[in-house]
Amino acid sequence: MLYFIHLLKLWLIQVRYAITRELAFRANFFAWVIVELAWFVLQLAFVGVVYQHVDSVAGWNRYEMIVLVATNQLIQQIFTAFLMPGLVKLPDLVRTGGLDFLLLKPAPPQFLVSTSSLEIGPVANAGIALIVVLSALHSLAITPTLSATFIYLLLVLAGLFVHYALLLALVSFTFWIVQAESVLLGYYSIFQVARLPREATRGWFRVIFTFAIPLLLVANVPASVLIRNAKITPILLFLGTSLSAALLASLFFYLGLRRYQSASS
Amino acid sequence: MTAALRSLPTVFSIGLQRQLAYRWNYLLRALFSAVPLLVSWVFWEAVFQGKETVGRYTLAGLLTYYAVLLIVEAVSSPADDDFQISREIREGMLNPILLRPLPYGLYRATLFLSGRCAYLVAAFIPVLLCFFILSRVIHLESASFDILRGLPALFGSALLQFSLTLCLSLTSFWFLDISSLIFLVYSLEFLAGGHVFPLDLLPAPLFTIARLLPFAYEYWFPAAALCGTLSHREWQIGIGMQFAWAIFFLFLAHLLWKAGLRKYTAAGG
Repeated sequence: MLYFIHLLKLWLIQVRYAITRELAFRANFFAWVIVELAWFVLQLAFVGVVYQHVDSVAGWNRYEMIVLVATNQLIQQIFTAFLMPGLVKLPDLVRTGGLDFLLLKPAPPQFLVSTSSLEIGPVANAGIALIVVLSALHSLAITPTLSATFIYLLLVLAGLFVHYALLLALVSFTFWIVQAESVLLGYYSIFQVARLPREATRGWFRVIFTFAIPLLLVANVPASVLIRNAKITPILLFLGTSLSAALLASLFFYLGLRRYQSASS
Repeated sequence: MTAALRSLPTVFSIGLQRQLAYRWNYLLRALFSAVPLLVSWVFWEAVFQGKETVGRYTLAGLLTYYAVLLIVEAVSSPADDDFQISREIREGMLNPILLRPLPYGLYRATLFLSGRCAYLVAAFIPVLLCFFILSRVIHLESASFDILRGLPALFGSALLQFSLTLCLSLTSFWFLDISSLIFLVYSLEFLAGGHVFPLDLLPAPLFTIARLLPFAYEYWFPAAALCGTLSHREWQIGIGMQFAWAIFFLFLAHLLWKAGLRKYTAAGG
């Protein structure tokens, strides 16, 4: 228990440092908020264009689809703020031998790699995504109950685990492939699956992205909790698969770490 | 100038070797770029449930558009040329390049060409595989492919994307970090360029505005020209707009380069 408190203290120090650094480059901070917002607007514009031609997609109406897309954005932005900046630096650290400095520190390598960098800008965008969720719920005349809100937040956390597992597994390929910058493109490409309504999928696609890489559950299950009072089975399935995915990705990271050879002198 | 032209094959060869050294990176890039096609397929299949057409598109027509976009992207999209140029300027690495009897724009254009060739080699099998799988499942509207109109549009798209990238990158003479600017333009290219959906699905006034912007001629126009969905008149106007934008950005890049060099501080030996 004390060990976890020690790690939490370390993380809080890094958060404080990140806030100080972001405030030193305020123009950059606002520029990134605008960039991320532009990508979100792009997704909403796509929904707008599609629903100009149809009333429903796989049983999801326009506002339900907005809840789905905005929930996905909420999870992705929290991930982008707190875990992604550290993970994407791993290929560079491995190639240059900079990982040595992290390995020498008295904390687990996976923790240090994951939390070595933070960005505060995406937190603002997560807030905007949450406002869009609430506004779409208002348009649907839905007021979430306290229990639904609690389960929603718990599932957002589970969604973070899935994002984390996928990116950690992808960047861990850097221990085998020298230049693995493309994995970031892979992460963004694969995560487009999370914006799909699960009912739109079938066959092997549905099985793979529900059980092997549970992307179809990341935004679908939390959004369904708010909109349709989702049943307990998909909730438990999601919690189970997200934890398993994070554990497997962690094992893959340590497997790769055993291959690491310092590149520095 | 003759010396500069004689050196281009060497620059091309060096660029190609540098790019192919990271062939796994390229192969992964090509494989991952097929994922959005898969997602589009699943999503649009759900949209078309009980409907024959959406806008002017059938499901096969729409998926053909997305598949052709893969080719447009492979041929014309810069990889990380923007970040490379920005790094060269920011870290004062232009010195050896400035000493060579080779215009910088021509040097970068040759490297861009070598990068595209390397990517085409890596992307060839994944893209072919995508077409094969799609054609097994749905009937792609390949009969209407218009290579004669598509190829000039594809070349124009490469020229436009290169010139726009050059302009963006050259702002590094004035700004410390331009990555946010690059990603902002990416998002505009995706939305207003027809990467997310064909632009003719937009409401008519927005479609008109989109056709006035350069982004439409990066993806939507070459893809539509290759798919053969444009009338001859639409193609003529499109190709005119595309090359006009490309020449405008090349001219702007020339001005930015001239002005930027006056600000440039060489660092290192």
